[in-house]
Amino acid sequence: MSETRSLASVSVGDALPSLEIPLTRTLIVSTAIASRDYQDVHHDHVLAQERGSPDIFMNILTTNGFVGRFVTDWTGAGATLKKIDIRLGAPNYPGDTMTIEGAVTAKDEEAGTIEVSVRGANRLGDHVTGTVLVALPN
Amino acid sequence: MSDDLQKTLDAFAGTPTGPKGTCPYPVNEPMIHHWCDATGDRNPAYLDAAAAKETGRDGVIAPPAMLQAWTMRGLRPATADEEAHAEALGDQKQPLDVLDEAGFTSVVATNCEQEYFRELVPGDQISHEVTTESISGEKKTGLGVGHFVTQLYTYKDAAGEVVATMRFRILKFRPPQ
Repeated sequence: MSETRSLASVSVGDALPSLEIPLTRTLIVSTAIASRDYQDVHHDHVLAQERGSPDIFMNILTTNGFVGRFVTDWTGAGATLKKIDIRLGAPNYPGDTMTIEGAVTAKDEEAGTIEVSVRGANRLGDHVTGTVLVALPN
Repeated sequence: MSDDLQKTLDAFAGTPTGPKGTCPYPVNEPMIHHWCDATGDRNPAYLDAAAAKETGRDGVIAPPAMLQAWTMRGLRPATADEEAHAEALGDQKQPLDVLDEAGFTSVVATNCEQEYFRELVPGDQISHEVTTESISGEKKTGLGVGHFVTQLYTYKDAAGEVVATMRFRILKFRPPQ
């Protein structure tokens, strides 16, 4: 990913390669801890169940991280994330897989930005839907 | 729903919520690496100074979506500032307390909107302030009847410059019987 996509090379309608995230227990715990989020529902399944959840689940900070990664994996390192705007749905529980898909839905030549619409789904439904605004070099 | 409850809730709009969140550690490369390892993000802008320079930056940057991690309290003890704030609040109710007492005891996050005004780099000292932006009237949702609470987080650097904002919306709802 040494090359960065230029604004000129991107068109509305371009689809991004999908990103599959196997939701291991280690992933859910390690990402929560790496984001300094020690809420028990993200690492302790006994307490999570006491609180009415079937298991531990991914924290929101990590969802933002994967949405950002999904876009910058495709744009390359020279792109600048401007905005991540997400709506949250079905939780990401261990043992499931989240698949993120998306496409370019807008392009602003003057601002030098594109908007990517994103949907991350697991077997329960949509975990996350939203848009990412990212600036690309000319 | 009583009009009194809505009046109480409306009065919270625009008011600060909670103490200033401070940065226990400045933005730093070991935390960036831990995060990138855990999320599998290999973006060289976060990990490789030489590659980051090739993109026109001065060096590595923090992943923008890591924003909240920098001011997350984690397991550290409360600072003097936080203790003073808790004392000053005393029994004064916060919006979520009022909703709890009205029976809207369950909570789910519904939206998170982060806007980044500049990229964070190692050494940045970030703090945040939170304002309750709005509390909706009573809504019927798939989960139950509740109120949407929108909080605005404003992140600043050591110079007081706003580097990012986050609008975070939760639904406080009455669990179905």
